Amino acid sequence: MQMARRLAALLAVLSSLSAGALEDPAERARVTRFDNGLVVVTQEDATTPVVSFQMWVKVGSRDETDYTGLAHLFEHMMFNGSKNLGPDEHAQLINARGGAINAYTSRDFTVYFEDVTRESLPLVIDLEFERLTNLVIDEAALVKERKVVLEERSLRSEDQPRGRAYEALFSLLWQAHPYRRPVIGWRSDIEKTTVEVCRDFFDRFYTPSNIVIAVAGDFDAEEALAHLERSFGSLPPGPEISRYPTDEPEQRGERRATVRFDVRGPLLAAAWHAPPTGHPDAEALDVLSTILSDGRSSRLYKSLVRESEIALSAWGGYWEMLDAGTFLAFAAVRPGESVEAAEARFFEEIERLRLEPVGEAELDKAKRQLEVGMVSGLATAHAAAGRLGGDMAAFDRIRPLDERLSRMRSVSAEDVQRVAQTYLLRERRNVVHVVPPEETE
Amino acid sequence: MRRVACGLAATWGAVLLAGCAGLGPTPAWELPPPPPAERPVVREGALQRSELANGVRVLVHEDHSLPLVSISLNLRRGAASERPGEEGLTSFTAELLERGAGDRDAVAFAESVDALGASFGAGAGWDSVGVSVRGLSRDFDTLLGLLADAALRPRFDPREAERARAETLAALERAKDDPATLAGWHLARAIYGEHRYGRPSGGDAEAVARLDAAAARAWHRRMFVPAAALISVTGDVEADEVAAALEAHFGAWAPGPVPEPGPPAPERTPEARTLVVVDRPDLGQARIAVGHDGLSRTDDTRIAASLMNSVLGGSGFSSRLMLSLRSEEGLTYGVGSGFGLRRAPGPFQVSTFTKVETARAALDLLLAELERMRSEPPSAEELGWARTLAVGRFARGLETAGDVTGSLVDLDLYGLPEDSLDTYRSRVRAIGEADVAAAARAVLHPERAAIVLVGPAEQLRPQLEGLGAIEVVTP
Repeated sequence: MQMARRLAALLAVLSSLSAGALEDPAERARVTRFDNGLVVVTQEDATTPVVSFQMWVKVGSRDETDYTGLAHLFEHMMFNGSKNLGPDEHAQLINARGGAINAYTSRDFTVYFEDVTRESLPLVIDLEFERLTNLVIDEAALVKERKVVLEERSLRSEDQPRGRAYEALFSLLWQAHPYRRPVIGWRSDIEKTTVEVCRDFFDRFYTPSNIVIAVAGDFDAEEALAHLERSFGSLPPGPEISRYPTDEPEQRGERRATVRFDVRGPLLAAAWHAPPTGHPDAEALDVLSTILSDGRSSRLYKSLVRESEIALSAWGGYWEMLDAGTFLAFAAVRPGESVEAAEARFFEEIERLRLEPVGEAELDKAKRQLEVGMVSGLATAHAAAGRLGGDMAAFDRIRPLDERLSRMRSVSAEDVQRVAQTYLLRERRNVVHVVPPEETE
Repeated sequence: MRRVACGLAATWGAVLLAGCAGLGPTPAWELPPPPPAERPVVREGALQRSELANGVRVLVHEDHSLPLVSISLNLRRGAASERPGEEGLTSFTAELLERGAGDRDAVAFAESVDALGASFGAGAGWDSVGVSVRGLSRDFDTLLGLLADAALRPRFDPREAERARAETLAALERAKDDPATLAGWHLARAIYGEHRYGRPSGGDAEAVARLDAAAARAWHRRMFVPAAALISVTGDVEADEVAAALEAHFGAWAPGPVPEPGPPAPERTPEARTLVVVDRPDLGQARIAVGHDGLSRTDDTRIAASLMNSVLGGSGFSSRLMLSLRSEEGLTYGVGSGFGLRRAPGPFQVSTFTKVETARAALDLLLAELERMRSEPPSAEELGWARTLAVGRFARGLETAGDVTGSLVDLDLYGLPEDSLDTYRSRVRAIGEADVAAAARAVLHPERAAIVLVGPAEQLRPQLEGLGAIEVVTP
């Protein structure tokens, strides 16, 4: 009775949430293409006191041909001074205005951003243009920055069980494609990268036609575009960029690895091959991820955290990139519990998704969770600029909110089962255990 | 030189400008910063304050930009009010709120939250307990019902309490895998000893092992009283409708006395330098944490101290610590300093990390910068950017209506003036060089700081010679 009532209430709520009630802020976005190939996308929003400027450079660790970690190390070099400004001065000038400044490197992109109040946008544009045109890449800066990046590597990977797990996992999952390497790079490569290598990398990838600039929030788009045209628009176009040619061959058979590390709580990490970004199965995989992982009523929470009390957290999620995607699984096993037992429970839940279609209530719940997540993601200027920059860099268009919502809403129980059967195969999974040294296998 | 020529040309007109190669007009960094646009913090008419008959304070912040609503209930007391033997009880109680409340058991409660696509959270800090729910504004009534159930009618089922205790104990053990967490725990212990601040706000294993459903129920009865509560609603709602709904859900909440805030914190602690090495032989990087007593959230000198701290280690690439340890020496990826502002003064602390071999070098530089901040307090230039940084960061930190509400709730928890956000920028600008110099002298005590290092003791211990007696502990 209680279940029936809950279900009825749920259906009523779902049907009343009609599409189109929400205006997509990106409908106001404007895309400008400069003659040199640089793309600028702007979206004014006077309701926020912040403007976010993001420079998306279409280069990531997938583009490294010999020295791993180069894209990320280079990102650090972008803060080390230019012809007219000393090391860190760019960041200091933004800090002094109370702005946020940082950058990050992924497998596909390198993103530089500043979040400031509107009067500081001209400063941001001048500073970004200065480092793009007058960057200093010298031995002294590289020697120092190598040390900093090695400390970052220790922090994130070598002394961090989770970092160790991911490095081992991606090396298993991708045997050929450069996605197999850690974005931060292997220690020896960071130590050996030269000034010459950095300069070549910069000349090759930091060209106007390889850059998208996204600006969103409280600013005057006309003024910003004129400013960007005067500066970035004056750059000569770069040559065509050839990309790493290797595709990942099909995996035939499960792959496993064990990492020994001083952990109290073992870790389980697993990954399957999944389609690249923009694939028609993406939304079904998102729904499947949500059913597994989102909230305390999710399947993994109930099985691994609540009922068996074997893990502290567990999730599985679809991660999309330009050349390939993956479905990742992760469980933080409780100290004293067995990682094998956690794995068995985890894969039981994957198997269930392959064998049984999910019920309507569970499907609707997942869609609602995804929908609220999408709407919540529209709240800040930084998120807005990130969406514009990311979409333009990946798809050369902005995917309307309605398109994403309607594709997600049309996912059926059969779709979820089909993607589970297509991608989450036992013979194509990759499994890593991080366990203490004394534990025997 | 060329930059100057171009700069001058810019003032004379466009014809001369054409002759300037490169940047063209004077780059913005050479121009005086334009005055920041100062909007009112809260949009006109968007904020309503009221009070229910039983004393619950209410804050409604309308924001119709997205079809969402957040509802929070915050209480003016937290873990600092726990008595010896009760450490962790506030967090434990908060954790149990969603594990069964009103008509729903734990599973049904989670199903109800998730079915709405909502998120529910409950947690405790040193000075407050909070329960919050966020979802679509059209679900406001249901969301409020869930929040009211969790806050007023938690079941405290003994089986759920057992589960929560086991989970917390496992999480505490697993947290030892994180060097930063270990450093934080041991630093707190080294500074505060047996005072409540000496243990994690969520308690430690010894204390958590004693917690059960009955203790949580009793604690809930004491802590959850209307006079200590502030309910805030932010989002796509109408204030008058919210007021009526809150009266319906919380009007019958029976009053009770607000619990005591907990004992004062020691004022001068540690009294002498304390050195602790937490032995983690497997680590290649040492975690370093240095600290001592700090400031209260309501301390009159907190803005001056905060500006001083921006120059010291609170502003990323601009701070002296970052310049010294990262930009000049490449010893670390990051270093930061800050105050744990609590009702009873919390700690001041600095933390960083570096490869084990350079732990002493980094520690010496860190201590030297603390000392230098006392002997060479922020210059006029440093204070200048610290002020503009504070003002700009303030505006950015209040981007969304939810950000503003969060700050107003914080002011309420500490009994600070309601107009504090409106006056903040002018209070920042009023701080002078003498104020920050005085703050540096008053709050920094490197000579008697507690120092904690996490890493392989065998390699760290010899490096620390001459700094004082060293205590080596296991995680």
